[in-house]
Amino acid sequence: MEYIITTEQLTKKYKNFVSVNNVSLHIRKGSIYGFLGPNGAGKSTTMKMLLGLTAPTKGSFVIDGRHFPEDRIDILKEVGSFIEAPSFYANLTGRENLDIIRRILGLPETSVDDALELVGLEEFGGRLAKKYSLGMKQRLGLAGALLGRPPVLILDEPTNGLDPSGIHEIRNLVKSLPDLYDCTIMISSHMLSEIELMADDIGILNHGNLLFEGSLEDLRHSVGKAESANLEDVFLTMVEQDNTNRKQRAKL
Amino acid sequence: MNALAVEFRKEKRTGVIPLLPAVGILGAVYAFLNFLVRKDALLGLPLAPMDVLLTQLYGMIMVLNMFGIIVAACMIYNMEFKGNAVKKMYMLPMSVSGMYFCKFLILSAMFLSAVVLQNLSLMWIGMAELPQGAFEMGTLVKFAGYSFLTSMPVLSFMVLVSSRSANMWMPLGVGVAGFLSGMALANSGSGLLVVHPFVIMLKPAVAMSAEPDITVVTAAVIETLLFLGAGLWMAKNLRYE
Repeated sequence: MEYIITTEQLTKKYKNFVSVNNVSLHIRKGSIYGFLGPNGAGKSTTMKMLLGLTAPTKGSFVIDGRHFPEDRIDILKEVGSFIEAPSFYANLTGRENLDIIRRILGLPETSVDDALELVGLEEFGGRLAKKYSLGMKQRLGLAGALLGRPPVLILDEPTNGLDPSGIHEIRNLVKSLPDLYDCTIMISSHMLSEIELMADDIGILNHGNLLFEGSLEDLRHSVGKAESANLEDVFLTMVEQDNTNRKQRAKL
Repeated sequence: MNALAVEFRKEKRTGVIPLLPAVGILGAVYAFLNFLVRKDALLGLPLAPMDVLLTQLYGMIMVLNMFGIIVAACMIYNMEFKGNAVKKMYMLPMSVSGMYFCKFLILSAMFLSAVVLQNLSLMWIGMAELPQGAFEMGTLVKFAGYSFLTSMPVLSFMVLVSSRSANMWMPLGVGVAGFLSGMALANSGSGLLVVHPFVIMLKPAVAMSAEPDITVVTAAVIETLLFLGAGLWMAKNLRYE
C-alpha cells in the first residue's frame, strides 16, 4: 500500500503535559483520512507538526517521500492547509489575499479565480477580508488551501462557523476533490456524521494517544458494534473505554 | 525580489508606505518654518552657521523621526498578526526570515526617503538663508548620513520587538519607554550608554557640533546589525505555536 503521509512515534511535550504521544499515522495516497478526537486530544498539534508550525519533541514524519525539516520548502509546496481558524490579511480583499499566496507559490493568475469558484466566493472576491462573515472567512481560508490544487490537503475543522448549507457544500467539495484532481486529504472535524460520509480511513486520538487507525468497518469490529452502528456511537464507545482504562490505571 | 514585491502588496491600505515620507515632509516643513521665524535668534548663537542649521533644528526632526519609526514598525507587523496572516506565511513555501528582511528593507528605504526630504529642506534653507558662503554641501551630506545611521538601531530594534508581539500596544509601549529613557540618558557623559539604541538616535540632537562622532557611528552600525541578526534568527528558528 502506498502511503503519502507517515509519522513515526510523533510526540509533542509541553513542560509536564504530553499533547501528542508516540503517534504513528499511515495515510494512503488518494484517500480522505478523517482525524478524530475530543477537544484537547492533540489533533491540531499533530497537524501543526506536519506543517512545521510547531516542532516535534520526538519522532519524525515523511510527506510524499520528503523529510522534515530538511525538505520543509518542498513539502509546503505540495501541501495546502487550513489550521484551526482562517488566516488572512484584514487590510486586503479576498482576491488580494489569494493573490499573495499565489505569488508565493508561483502559480498562474487564473488559479485565484479557480480557488474562489471552488469555495463559492467568486462574487465576494473584491470585498475586504475583514468585512467577511465568519463563514466567508472560513471559505477564504479553504480557498487559500486549495490554491493551485495541491496534492496533499491538511484541513483542521474546515466547517467551523459555517451554516448547515455551507457545511453541506464544503463536505461535498471535500468529498469531490480526490475525483476532481489527484489529492489526499487529512481532515479533522467534530461533526462525526460529516466524517462518516466522506472519510475512507479514520484515525482516533484521545489524550494524545492514537487509539485506532483503519477503515470504518474495522473500527466497528474493534469495538464490537454492528455494521449499522454510526461513527458517533463507535467513537464515543472507544473514547469512553479509553477514559475508563486511564482512570483505572491512575487509581492503581 | 519576488518576496519584496509580495511584501509591498501586503502593505496596501495599511498606511505603512506613506507614513515615513509624510514624517519627512512634516520635518521639512517644521525646519523651514522654524528657521523662518527664529532666523535671527538662531544665527545669533555662538556657533558656526552650519552647526546652527544642522544641530539646532534636528531635535524636533529627530523626535518626529523616532515616533514615525516606532509607529511604522508597529504597523508593519500588526497587519501580520491582525487576521493571523503570519500563521499562513509559516505554512507556505517561503522563508519567514526573508519576509522579516523585506520588512526591514522597506522601512529603511521609507525612512531614507524621509531623511532625504528633511535634508532637502535644510539645503534650501542653507542656500537661501545662511550668510553668503557659509553653506557647505559636504557637511550637510555628512550630517544627513550621520543622522540616518544613528537612527537605524532604533528602526532595527523596533522591527525586532514588533515581530515578536501579537499585541501592537506592546512594541508601542517599548518604543515610548525607549524614547523617555533615551531622553533622560542622552546628555549623560557615560560612553556605555551607547548600548541604548534610543540614546544613539538622540546623540546628534544633543551635540553642539555637526561633526559626526565616530564612536557613535560605530556603535550604531554594530547595534543595527545585531538587532537585525537577532530578528532574522528568531524568524527562522522560533516557530509559530
